[in-house]
Amino acid sequence: MEFDLTTFILEVINFLVLVWLLKHFFYRPVLAVIEKRQAETAKTIADAAAMRREAEGLKSECLGRLAGVDQERVAARAGLAEEIAAERVRRLAAVETEVNTDRQRRQMLEARERSEHEAALEREAVTIAARFASRFLDRLAGPELEAKLVELALSELDALAPEKLDALRDTSVSIKVVSAYPLDDAQRAAFTLALGRLAGRTISPEFSDDAVLKAGICIMAGSWVLMANLRDELSFFSGNFDHGG
Amino acid sequence: MGKPEFLELLAFHLGPLHIGATVLTTWLLMALLVGFVWFGTRRLSVDSPSRLQMALEGTVLALQQAIEDTAPGNDARLLPFIGTLWLFIAAANLMGLVPGLRSPTGDLSLTVALAMLVFLSVHWFGIRIDGLRAYLRHYLDPNPILLPFHLLGEVTRTLALAVRLFGNMMSLEMAALLVLLVAGFLAPIPLLMLHIVEALVQAYIFGTLALVYVAGALQSHELNKKE
Repeated sequence: MEFDLTTFILEVINFLVLVWLLKHFFYRPVLAVIEKRQAETAKTIADAAAMRREAEGLKSECLGRLAGVDQERVAARAGLAEEIAAERVRRLAAVETEVNTDRQRRQMLEARERSEHEAALEREAVTIAARFASRFLDRLAGPELEAKLVELALSELDALAPEKLDALRDTSVSIKVVSAYPLDDAQRAAFTLALGRLAGRTISPEFSDDAVLKAGICIMAGSWVLMANLRDELSFFSGNFDHGG
Repeated sequence: MGKPEFLELLAFHLGPLHIGATVLTTWLLMALLVGFVWFGTRRLSVDSPSRLQMALEGTVLALQQAIEDTAPGNDARLLPFIGTLWLFIAAANLMGLVPGLRSPTGDLSLTVALAMLVFLSVHWFGIRIDGLRAYLRHYLDPNPILLPFHLLGEVTRTLALAVRLFGNMMSLEMAALLVLLVAGFLAPIPLLMLHIVEALVQAYIFGTLALVYVAGALQSHELNKKE
């Protein structure tokens, strides 16, 4: 194989042409694509980094919000605890007030029941005492006791207040003197005299006897009554009788 | 060499110029290369590249990385020349595997042409970067006495570049022919494997040496800048 100048020159030209062709149709477009892809990759990486930074920012913001929410939750719990404590105090006060009211009401009821009971006991005691006194005085009842009661009545007539003698002064009213035992004349005269003096006129009372009185007398002039006998006294003692005078 | 060569039949004269089989094979090779890359790069996609596009991108990136490793920062400037050297010589060496064709790199005229282009490119890149005066001054470093040795080195390495590729490819084809004549068709596969390996190795060696020479010129520029 000898050296051929024509071939040499043509090969030089061929190679230079090939360099130009490959440069324009191979290296340049391929490198451009590679560069574009690298740029896109770099852009994607930059975008990803930016997104990552943004996500980290959002994450930190979210964490901050969560911390704020936690603080709000703690504050809300504290507020709720305070409200619960206040409500508890209020309800306890209300319950205490209600209990006190109930206690007072119960105490009042108990006091009333006790007073009623005491009154009942008192009434029963009075009844018993009255019964005892009645039985006891039944044994003592007699003319002697009646004489003393008559004397007592006559002395009370002397001590009567003037305004209570209007019934005696009324001439239309009949005056009755009732005794347990029949009065003797002296006693009747004493009453007639005493009543007449009080009435300021001459009167003639009606005398009668009623064993129900047990002992003593009862003077009636219209609505005015003077009682000085065991029955009325015992009734008065037991509270079932009104003196009326 | 006794091997039938189809393109020898198509050789013609264009005035005083003889268009032989080497030139025709080179044109065919150029057409195939340009057609292939045109086919592969006509629909380049950034988002969904095809397998062919990915292969082409991988090839370009590998060439670029090899250049970057030897001459850092000059890959964009050297890629068209050095990359084309690698691709062209590899394809030219492999053309011998096609029945009826012969490797154009088995022609001394082509290897000398390539070596001459490497020689000129070294000075071209050196002068372009460094300036004529500064570039020529590096032949006097470190001592003007070394100028003849520098010049001798320039000539011999260019000559060695051309003869190495020519000798290897021619001897490879002759060795293959001899083995085929002796052993018949008993060992075609190992011979084909040997041809492929040798073709790729010689392409790599030629392109790498060219890159080293150019990188040497660029490195002298860096040294001048530091001084």
